[in-house]
Amino acid sequence: MAMTDVTRRDALRYLFEKVVDPLGYKFTPDEELADFLLEQEVKLEQDHEAPYCPCQGRSGVRAEDMQVVCPCIPFHREHFDKMKRCWCGLFVHKDVTDPDSLPQFPPDEA
Amino acid sequence: MADEVFLYALSTCPWCRKAKQFFTDNQIPFDFVDVDQLQGAAQDAAAEKARELSGGRRYPVVVINGEVVAGYNPDRYLELLRSRW
Repeated sequence: MAMTDVTRRDALRYLFEKVVDPLGYKFTPDEELADFLLEQEVKLEQDHEAPYCPCQGRSGVRAEDMQVVCPCIPFHREHFDKMKRCWCGLFVHKDVTDPDSLPQFPPDEA
Repeated sequence: MADEVFLYALSTCPWCRKAKQFFTDNQIPFDFVDVDQLQGAAQDAAAEKARELSGGRRYPVVVINGEVVAGYNPDRYLELLRSRW
C-alpha cells in the first residue's frame, strides 16, 4: 500500500469510529480483518468516489448506492443488530469480543 | 451425481474468499465469478443475476444444486451438498 493509502485508511478509521460509537458499534477486534476491509474501502473510494462496503454491490442508482457507503449501519440497523455485526464485519456490537463466533447472516435466516 | 456449485463474489469481500476457501478445502469443484472484476454489460448482467437470486446486493451469493445461499454459511453449504449426505 502506498503511504497516501495508509494515511487514508487511518483517516477512515478515525472518522468511522466517531460515527459508529453512538450507534453501539465498535471496530472488529480482528485487526487484520479491519485493516483489509479499510484498505478495500480506500480502493473503492479511489475508483468509485465513496468508501462503499466491500461486501455489497452497487446498483448505479445513487439513492440505493448511498445505503452501502460505509458505515452503512443506519440503513440496515435491524438486520445488523440481529447479527451483532455489519455485513462485511468491519463493525461489531460493543459487547462482542469474539467476532469469529458470529455468523454472516441473522439467526432467523439460517 | 456431482454437486453443482457456483459463487457470485466480489474481489474485495473477505467472506467471498472464505466461501471459495471452504469449497477448495473440502475438495468440492466450483465455478465463480468476481462480479466487480467484470466490465460493462457482463458486470451488469452478473450483478443483476446475483440480485435476482438473493433478493439483495449482499455477497457472496452461493448456488448449490439450484438452492441459493446468501452469505457465508458453511453449515448450510454442507446441508445442500449431495456428496456430503
